[in-house]
Amino acid sequence: MPVNRREFLRMSGLAAARLSLGMSITWSGVRTVQAAEEGNTPEAMHLLNRVTWAVRPEDAAKIGQMGSTAYIDWQLAYEAIPDPIVTAFLKAQPIVNLTYSQMAQLAMQKNGDDQINAAVSWARVYRAAFSERQLFELMVEFWTDHFNIPILDLSAEKAVDDREVIRKHALGKFRGFLLASAQSPAMISYLNNDANVKAHPNENYAREVMELHTLGVDGGYTERDVREVARAFTGWGIRDGQSNPFYFDNDAHDSDAKTILGHTLPAGRGIEDVLNVLDILAMHPATARFISRKLVRRFVSDTPPQSLVDSTAQVFSTTDGDIRQVMRHLLTSTEFMASTGQKFRRPLDFVVAMLRLTRPKLDTPDPILEMLYTMGQSPFSWHPPNGYPDSAHAWMNTNGLLKRWNAALAFVDDSTVEMGIHHSFDTLIPTASTATTLVDQAARLILGGAMMAVDRQQVLNYVINDGPLTAEQLPIKRAGVIGLLMASPYFQWH
Amino acid sequence: MANVFTRRQFLGTASSAVGMIGTLGINPALFPRWMPRMAFRDTKSAGSRGDVLIVIAQRGGMDGLSAVVPYADGGVYYDKRPTIAIRPPNSSGGAEDDTAIDLDGHFGLHPALRPLKDVYDAKQLAVIHAAGSPDPSRSHFDAMDYMERGTPGDRMTSNGWINRHLESAAWQNASPFRAVGIGSMIQTSLSGIVPALSLQSIADFHLNGRQDQLIAMQKTLAGLYNASAPASALGTQANEVFSTIALLGKLAASEYTPEHNATYPETEFGAGLKQIAQLIKAEVGLEVACVDSGGWDTHDNETPQIAAALGELGQGLRALHDDLGPSMANVTVVTMSEFGRRIEENASHGTDHGHGNVMFVMGGGVNGGLHTHWPGLQPDQLDNGDLAITTDYRDVLAEIVTLRLLNPALGAIFPGFTPTSRGIVRAR
Repeated sequence: MPVNRREFLRMSGLAAARLSLGMSITWSGVRTVQAAEEGNTPEAMHLLNRVTWAVRPEDAAKIGQMGSTAYIDWQLAYEAIPDPIVTAFLKAQPIVNLTYSQMAQLAMQKNGDDQINAAVSWARVYRAAFSERQLFELMVEFWTDHFNIPILDLSAEKAVDDREVIRKHALGKFRGFLLASAQSPAMISYLNNDANVKAHPNENYAREVMELHTLGVDGGYTERDVREVARAFTGWGIRDGQSNPFYFDNDAHDSDAKTILGHTLPAGRGIEDVLNVLDILAMHPATARFISRKLVRRFVSDTPPQSLVDSTAQVFSTTDGDIRQVMRHLLTSTEFMASTGQKFRRPLDFVVAMLRLTRPKLDTPDPILEMLYTMGQSPFSWHPPNGYPDSAHAWMNTNGLLKRWNAALAFVDDSTVEMGIHHSFDTLIPTASTATTLVDQAARLILGGAMMAVDRQQVLNYVINDGPLTAEQLPIKRAGVIGLLMASPYFQWH
Repeated sequence: MANVFTRRQFLGTASSAVGMIGTLGINPALFPRWMPRMAFRDTKSAGSRGDVLIVIAQRGGMDGLSAVVPYADGGVYYDKRPTIAIRPPNSSGGAEDDTAIDLDGHFGLHPALRPLKDVYDAKQLAVIHAAGSPDPSRSHFDAMDYMERGTPGDRMTSNGWINRHLESAAWQNASPFRAVGIGSMIQTSLSGIVPALSLQSIADFHLNGRQDQLIAMQKTLAGLYNASAPASALGTQANEVFSTIALLGKLAASEYTPEHNATYPETEFGAGLKQIAQLIKAEVGLEVACVDSGGWDTHDNETPQIAAALGELGQGLRALHDDLGPSMANVTVVTMSEFGRRIEENASHGTDHGHGNVMFVMGGGVNGGLHTHWPGLQPDQLDNGDLAITTDYRDVLAEIVTLRLLNPALGAIFPGFTPTSRGIVRAR
């Protein structure tokens, strides 16, 4: 039995997510990147920048063919998008799709935990970088933070939760999502619902399900509501060794009457108490607002426009929490259109973008996972239940910036071969033989377009710093330019 | 550390030039000759003449009733904690690791805090029980947020109390090390208009890359970020990075050895404290440092966990105290946690979120001893079933700010609050 599941994070920044009040980082001064492809509007490029992890030339071509609205619908209907690269990847690795019992058995073996952790973490990164279902992967990331469970000490459970809860419902309906999360052994363990019994209620999950998963801390619930919800959840547990480990123990359940958020739950019931509570929470208007605000923050801006939060909450309520419809509304809104360049890439976004745009051959995922660890955003490693912070302010600091630059420079360095990273920059930028074509081709590849003239000149100066570009210098300068562009302000905003 | 370029070449483009800030009144003769000194342009006045403040944020809700045991309260404490209570001092049959260390006949230290007993006896440790933030929230995130912003219950405050202190201070300090947050994310208490440096490792704070490309790359990067004339928040951060690289490079050039056999825990927390000590001795203009401590959210199986967390805290504070030696006369350390924990244990041999807690203040200017207005543990003495708070945490901080940091602007730092004098620290 894992010991310290709720090990609290040493890092601060927990409150950074609350930074919405008057503490915005303005992005003015950041230059927008011009549209790359002939015929692609800035609006289309902006949309791509938000619904993909990074814009490749083929993404730009696709939206040029389809138009923005059709592109959104195509991405929302993710099950119909063929994903051969990811399918092959998943087929070739043995852990991610193990059943719950198989996963639990592996976790009990020596280093089993670590293997599961590494496999699931790498799958997360790989899919973000290379899946054709880019928007789906972005939604998975959003909900991973929203229903956060750290994988440490819960590797088998969280691996299954990722597959059966988060990925099953990321573009589904919220009510079903909430129930699946509540029944997930990972969540039950993490927030101690398995220790929540009639004689000694444990309030941990009751509090977080309202504060973090549904109503939000301002959603209007009281301490009494927390206690009553805890009572409703008594008897909820996990039974090891079963293929479906969730079970409900009637003997441990407090079946006396309860009052929650003004609703009376009659005495004498069992699991219906919980189903009732989850209905109340999922349908509550505060939930629609809370979730909508988070989605707008993630996909639009660190200062979520109230008008969009309101209209999105309206769609959430009228569609009973249909996430696809909510996203369609959000992504086609005028507020969304007006938010170019306002989101700061978090470390995972940054690393995934580097991978997606340069497509190196990797002998081992270790150096990439190491990079994420150093930058403070290892997959599934945020310890408190509120998920990694989603504001520029949390990630944009001296330490964070230096690490980002170093990650970019290390990524392109030729010593990466020793770490099992094999680049093919000559294939990615085949025509570069002069300083200007090198810089322009690199900008097109990494930034999706041209830089401002003054910045382009600075990068050119770097290339010819030691004299005119020679054949011998080319690979070195090429790598250097790619690294510099990835470290540049252009690459940090999208 | 391999790909390090010559910093002198870069110093030319960095903004900070040379000058001296006399900050701590520390006798340079106390430190070895090899200890590098940073130097900063003295723009206006001579910088702060107050203590260096170190704030330790214990994240998760420390169980104050385990850290400082009200053993003489007898029945209630032991009845409500049948498996996790700490025995009274001198109990027969008790092992050393579950018996309290007596402080004053009423309270005892958790045995894992043994390293602090000497500091307590030397009257450099103040213990304030039944302290904390009056807001009733039992939510980690809310309670921590309120505490760090310094206005419990008020959601509209946009900056941290430490930043307001720095902003309202009467002196200037242009050093990039004026406010340092150890870790990869800046603490909320440091957030605000006065820039703070987030720092994780002095030794690693430099740009890495191909030796022969690094200088040119760094120059280009600075240009792309407009580091010399930043037009954006990101540009300002970039400028900070380059200045700090230059300056920390000098500091990292020699290995840091703690003095007086001080042994820091080999954890992130210990490393954070050690680096703060290093920055203090290097006289870089540090005024405030924040560091986080974790492992406190003991919902289940509390006994070994609280022992481990208190052990790390005790060892860390003791090491800091010993390492700094006579410099402790100019340093004040304060600990706080967002709330305490319930008096009764839960079914998992742990405790859930409570209210009143313990704060520690350590330093040469401290009036050592217990400073507790003990409300008691009887049912009618509790706050919503939990240990009540009789000392607002801002009383403690306000005293430190006025008497040790020499900033009287309490109205700006803790708006809407009238502090009560508690006699925890002496005036400088």
